[in-house]
Order: sequence, then structure tokens, then C-alpha cells
Amino acid sequence: MDNEDLKLTWNSQKTGLPFNTPAQIIAKAKGQRRSQIGGIVIMLITVLLLIVFTILYAGTQWNNFSLGLTLMISSLVFRIALEFIYLFKINKQMVSLDSKTFRSYVKSHYRARLRINYIITPLCLSIYVFGFMLLIPYFKAVFSSSFYTYILVSGAISLVVVSGLIARTIRKETQFLKRLNDR
Amino acid sequence: MDEAGFTEIYNTHADKVYRLCLGYASGDENLAKDWLQDTFVKVWHHRKSFKGNSAISTWIYRIAVNVCLAALKKSRKHASIDDRIVGMVDKPIQTEDREYKLSKMYRCIDQLTIQNKNLILLELEDIPQATIAETLGLAHGAVRTRLSRIRKALLKCMTHGQ
Repeated sequence: MDNEDLKLTWNSQKTGLPFNTPAQIIAKAKGQRRSQIGGIVIMLITVLLLIVFTILYAGTQWNNFSLGLTLMISSLVFRIALEFIYLFKINKQMVSLDSKTFRSYVKSHYRARLRINYIITPLCLSIYVFGFMLLIPYFKAVFSSSFYTYILVSGAISLVVVSGLIARTIRKETQFLKRLNDR
Repeated sequence: MDEAGFTEIYNTHADKVYRLCLGYASGDENLAKDWLQDTFVKVWHHRKSFKGNSAISTWIYRIAVNVCLAALKKSRKHASIDDRIVGMVDKPIQTEDREYKLSKMYRCIDQLTIQNKNLILLELEDIPQATIAETLGLAHGAVRTRLSRIRKALLKCMTHGQ
């Protein structure tokens, strides 16, 4: 076997498959942009509502319910915003850096993400759970006993599922980082 | 770049980008199609950031290589190459031989380091060495030397089935 055989073998791959048309790609790109903008708008509105809510009620009717709700929403919004920022940054670098520099960037990106996953995410989750716990007495007072039990059980299940997802992400990103460092 | 310009660029480069992605995806056609699509979605999104400092093809290959590198995180889902070799039964001998060689080639390429994989995949697509150097951020001389070594390693692997 020689270099020519390598090329011949490589060129024997299928080509001219039915790819998406350029119009479909453009439509997908536009759809992606719309949903990104939609997500950002929803987050901004949520933050704005939180600020307005805090200003209106902080002085007079602020209680554990308001505090719990604020902690839950703000920890969630903060974590989602962080995810958006990291996604935006890596996408920007993907189109501007040469492959060697981008690889170094990807390594530092995933090292930073590991720190986020080990520190920031559990912190956000703890704040979220603490906020939820502040709401529990209000739920107990307002809802029927069966619905109250349902909220507690579903809350606990959600916590287990989210923790599992975080652990899975950490494992996946650690493996990827190791692969990048090995090769 | 307007829609007509994008269409022209897509029609010119889609095939090469797809085959490049096939190399990263070890022959998994669905993954390669996804990465091809991601590449051109990014080309469309960032078309205004392309200032023409390099050839448009260099810019596109650079995005494609980076998209494939970033997507390697999720690439372990595809069927292993060994599975596909085992799956080659009841096919005409010529097709079987071609697919066997190709699968072996994917496996040998998969054993290379990421940087060497980048180099050989671009070279196999007949992309000029100067463009490869610019795409990967390497010196032209280094590309030539390294490609010669990689070709030898690949041939050895293909012949002796390392």
C-alpha cells in the first residue's frame, strides 16, 4: 500500500449525499437565533420582575415566602445566564481561532466549566433548595395534605434527578478534558 | 454575504466539509451530517465577522475543524468501527473490500492525536498545505514534515493492522 492507495481509499467514501439545502440551513440558523433571543428576553423579563417585586415588597410585605421565591428564581436565572455566557464565548472562539489555539481554548473552557460544576452549580442548587424549604410552611398552610405531600415528593425526586444530571455532566466533561490532554 | 452568496459557498464546500467530518466521526454518516450542518449554521451566523483576511475556504475549514473538535465530546455514541467491520456480510466482494479498507482507515485515523488527525484529514481532501497551515495555526514547514510522518504511520497501520 502507498500514498495513492490512501487517497483512493479515502476518495471511495460516499459523496453527494442528500444534505440539507442551503435554504434549510439558513432557516435553521434563523430559528436558532430566534430561540436564543427568546431565551435572553425571558431571562431579562424575569430579572426585571424580580427587581420590581423586591423594590415593591422589600420594605412592607417582605417575608420568607418572598425571600424563598426570590432565592429560587435568582439562583436559577444566574446559573442559566452563566451557561449562556459560556456557550456564547465558545461559539465566538470557534469561528475566529485557528485549530491549535482553539484546542487550548477548549481545554481552559472545560477546566473553567469543571470549577463551575464543582462549586457554582452545587451552590446554586443549595440556594434553590433553601429557597424551596422556605416556601414549605406556606405550602402546608395553603394546600391540601395530599397535594402538599405531592410537592414534597416531586421536589425530592427533582433534586435527585438534577444531582444525577450534574454528576453525568461532570463525568462527561472530565472524560473529554482527559481525552484532549492525552492526545 | 447574502443568501445567494451563502448558497454558492455551501454548494462549493459542503462535500469537502462533510468528508472531513466523516473522518472525525469515524465514518458515522449521521454525525458527519450534523457537524456539516453546525458548520454552515455558524458560517451563516458569523458571516459578517469574516473580513477577508484569509480565503473563505480557509475560514470554513477552520470552523469545520473546530466544530468537529468541540463535538468530539458527544461522539462516543456512534457504533464502533469494529462493529461495522463485523456487519459487512453478504455484500459483493468489491464493495466489501472497499468498505473494509475504509473502516480500517477510519480506525487508523482514530488512533492519531487530534492535531495529526486534523492534518491528515485536510491533506486527504487535497487542501493545499499553505491553507492547512493557516487553518491549523502551524508553520508551513512543520506541516510538510509532520504530514510525511503521519502518512508513514497511517500506511503502516493500514498494512499491518496496528
